[in-house]
Amino acid sequence: MKPPRWADRFLEWYCRPELLEEIQGDAHELFYRRIKKNERTASLYFVLNVFRFFRWKNIRKRKSKYKESNVTNAMIKNIVLVSIRNFIRQPGHSLLNVFGLSVGFSCAFLILLWVTHEFSFDTFHNDPGRIYKILTHVAANGSSQTYDVAGAAMDVSSVPEVESLVSVASGERWPFELCFRPEGKANECIYLNGVYANEQLFSVFNFPILHGDPNPLKNPAAIAISEKMAQNLFGSVSPLGKIIKIDDRREVTVVSVFKDVPENSSLKFDFALPFAILKKQWGVNDQQFGQNFFHMYVRVNAPIPAERLTEKLNDVRVITEAYKAEHISYQAYPMTDWHLKSKFEDGKYAGGRIEYVILFIIIGAMVVIMAIINFVNLSTARATLRAKEIGIRKVTGAIRRTIAAQFMGESFLFVLMAFVLSIITVQFARAPFNTLLGEPVTVGVFTGWVPLYLVGVLLGVAILAGIYPAWVMSSFQPVRILKNQLSAKSSGSQSFRKVLLVVQLSVSIGIIIFSGVLYQQLNYITHKNLGFDRSNMIRVEPTFQLLQKFEAFKNELYKNPAITSIGTAATNPLNTSGGNTGVSWPGKAPDVRISFKTIACSYEFPETMGLKLLEGHNFQPITGDSIRTEVLVTEEAVRIMGLEQPLGEEIKMGEATCVIIGVVNDFHTSSLHEARQPVILFRTSYEHTSAIYVKYQPGSTQSAMETLVNTYKSFEPSFTMKYWFQDETFDELYKTEIIASRLVLLFTAIALVIAIIGIVGLATFNALRKTKEIGIRMVFGASTGQVMGLLFREFSFVLMIAILVAGPMAWYAADHWLAGFAYHTDMPWWMFGITFLGVGGLITLVIWLQGMKTLSANPTQTLLSE
Amino acid sequence: MKGTYLGELEELVLLHVGILYPEAYGVAVMDEIEKQAGRSLNISAVHSVLTRLEEKGFLKSKMGDPTEERGGRRKRIFLLTASGKRALEEANELRTQLYSQIPKVALQFSY
Repeated sequence: MKPPRWADRFLEWYCRPELLEEIQGDAHELFYRRIKKNERTASLYFVLNVFRFFRWKNIRKRKSKYKESNVTNAMIKNIVLVSIRNFIRQPGHSLLNVFGLSVGFSCAFLILLWVTHEFSFDTFHNDPGRIYKILTHVAANGSSQTYDVAGAAMDVSSVPEVESLVSVASGERWPFELCFRPEGKANECIYLNGVYANEQLFSVFNFPILHGDPNPLKNPAAIAISEKMAQNLFGSVSPLGKIIKIDDRREVTVVSVFKDVPENSSLKFDFALPFAILKKQWGVNDQQFGQNFFHMYVRVNAPIPAERLTEKLNDVRVITEAYKAEHISYQAYPMTDWHLKSKFEDGKYAGGRIEYVILFIIIGAMVVIMAIINFVNLSTARATLRAKEIGIRKVTGAIRRTIAAQFMGESFLFVLMAFVLSIITVQFARAPFNTLLGEPVTVGVFTGWVPLYLVGVLLGVAILAGIYPAWVMSSFQPVRILKNQLSAKSSGSQSFRKVLLVVQLSVSIGIIIFSGVLYQQLNYITHKNLGFDRSNMIRVEPTFQLLQKFEAFKNELYKNPAITSIGTAATNPLNTSGGNTGVSWPGKAPDVRISFKTIACSYEFPETMGLKLLEGHNFQPITGDSIRTEVLVTEEAVRIMGLEQPLGEEIKMGEATCVIIGVVNDFHTSSLHEARQPVILFRTSYEHTSAIYVKYQPGSTQSAMETLVNTYKSFEPSFTMKYWFQDETFDELYKTEIIASRLVLLFTAIALVIAIIGIVGLATFNALRKTKEIGIRMVFGASTGQVMGLLFREFSFVLMIAILVAGPMAWYAADHWLAGFAYHTDMPWWMFGITFLGVGGLITLVIWLQGMKTLSANPTQTLLSE
Repeated sequence: MKGTYLGELEELVLLHVGILYPEAYGVAVMDEIEKQAGRSLNISAVHSVLTRLEEKGFLKSKMGDPTEERGGRRKRIFLLTASGKRALEEANELRTQLYSQIPKVALQFSY
């Protein structure tokens, strides 16, 4: 039995040679003595002793053998001078190198800023990990839908861990988006968006109150406004104590001014009002109010796993019997996760924005890697040209380490230049980048930890980019260099360089294909027939008074022949949220739960939307049935209800009795990520709708807009008209996809630029290296084609491998992404073909241009240069 | 100052090197201390004291003969130097002198 070999080796490695013999001897002696007593502990004891001997005094001091070598100022000066001269002598090559790197850097840094911004959402609250958002899952149609709201009447007093509960009602339209009049300008209107909340809003969240009451919402007639809003309404005068009239009638007092809500907050608002006001606005009593669903947040006093909290929230004392009976369940979800991880499928977490964040982290990393590969390839390719310098240096006494240090230093210089250049670029590119994203990324180059990340990237890249060229160049044998025997092999491994090129090409090809698929899908979405017409349509936000005078308003508009149809509805058919599970029809099984989309609309609306009537008749100006509500249903709804003869059938929506008077074609009511739902359109009066839809003739936007604005002004002189084009609202639905496609397009371009730089650099080098070979071949009568073939051969192999690698990967990624849409285009295989051909053609072109340059030289000249 | 002061453990080790003459080396010193003074030290501690004493000039060393139990490695044999001997004497003297100054009555533990 022997002592553990590794420990013995470790001892030999660290121990000072002059002490090794006795120390090792003692350790071994003790080991063999111990073995006689107990074999098992002996090894352990030996290891313990080895580590005990690991003391400063016993450790071998590694002195450089060359510590005495002369690193003089003159030498450093010479090295720096040579570097600069080299840079200037080949300005094209040097600039190409710096440019390539800085493009990669800039791109990566922009992504870094964006990613940091995305991850910073909601983290500015105090102890954000203790705040949970409550999600609601509703089971229907055999699966489960998830909403980010919960029952307003929720009572959490039975859960001891919950410290406070915040309830926030928010929305995009009245009564959340209100018209405020700046002081002294009664006819002007500034639309601002705000929330209604309970008292805890300002105590749980970190929205600092700058002036006034720190707890504004306990006062039932108070309003808290943001700095920006105070500025807009009152200018530089202190807003505290001022009276604001909501909807021109309900008076509230400004009691506090809070700091503008940061961009990285998922809750955004310009004012906050107490719930008491909302009850009055809606005209509901407490009991009715409690049936609403609001954004609910809880703050816990002690760390508790989300699962445990979820369990407690689903206790009958919290969720109530009534909701349980409706198949509703709650889930506690960390607030900071919501921004990035908000997609749920069938009640289970299924990604969200995080997928795009990860995608772009990958793309950013790839772009940087490509830039590094370029740099390495270009540097090593040039190595042969500097061989003589290295040879002379070595002969005059340089050792490998100093040569390596020299080249590392040079690489670092290049990287640093590129870094500085890219920081400047990023500073200038931030504004356009924000426009491209359509959202302000407040994180800058000097925000928080970002400078540290940047320096980290700088050092990482400097090391990665410098180490291989330094290693290759310092390995040159001076004798062979000076005897001019430097083979191609010694300028770095050819195969290594080819592997790098394969990686680079596959990444480029992959990115190009993926972005092609992305575009294809966006194209598919925007051109897919939704079942109704959304073009040439304006949506106008009406005031209540305007809806009351709607007939007159409509007649006034019709005076312009460009306006073809006008209708009103309570829900925008482009983006209906929620669903109605309270629909019953003849022959419905009692345990079936189906969620319908219901749209309350005026009688003109189906026609305005361009829905096709398949059976029955449309709503008429005069209602045909005064007791029952008339409804139109889609084919899908008929199919789901299983009605043979839908016309005249009576269905019930909640308590209301309805009669089906017609069947219309199916149409999509939300983004194409989701499957199409059955729809019921029910007729209602103008006053119960919330938006006016105006359809006009194609090409007459201006004329229609003018009439609309003027008519609105004449009916509502003290309000500014709020309107949207339906097309733009539609684009909103795919905001993430559209932003992503823009970014991907940008990165595709960058990937392409970097790849071209790489290919140009390498092709130049190859042609240069083979100058003599080509000269000899030409002398012996080779044709241009044959010489070109020689130059192509190397690249065609690399291209083949790159295609084989990139194809399947791009397919997998694209397929995965497409699967996220309920409706998507087929995999565009031609995209693969075009990309392969395009990249191949590009490479051919570059090589051909380079080859022609070499070929045009007189072979006698090239051969004479020996 | 280094070289003049003799620590308690140093004194103990120095004494044992004297006792073990001429076979004083790391393991032997460690064993002897355990036997005589009942103190169990680990080998690396003994080692560091020995080298320190050598640096202070109280000990000198030479390499001994290889033995089989050490895998053919030699021992470093430690020997007292003249100054080592003097240091021990001084320490001993100081101790007896100080001890003699303790009043007799203080040492009568009749209770």
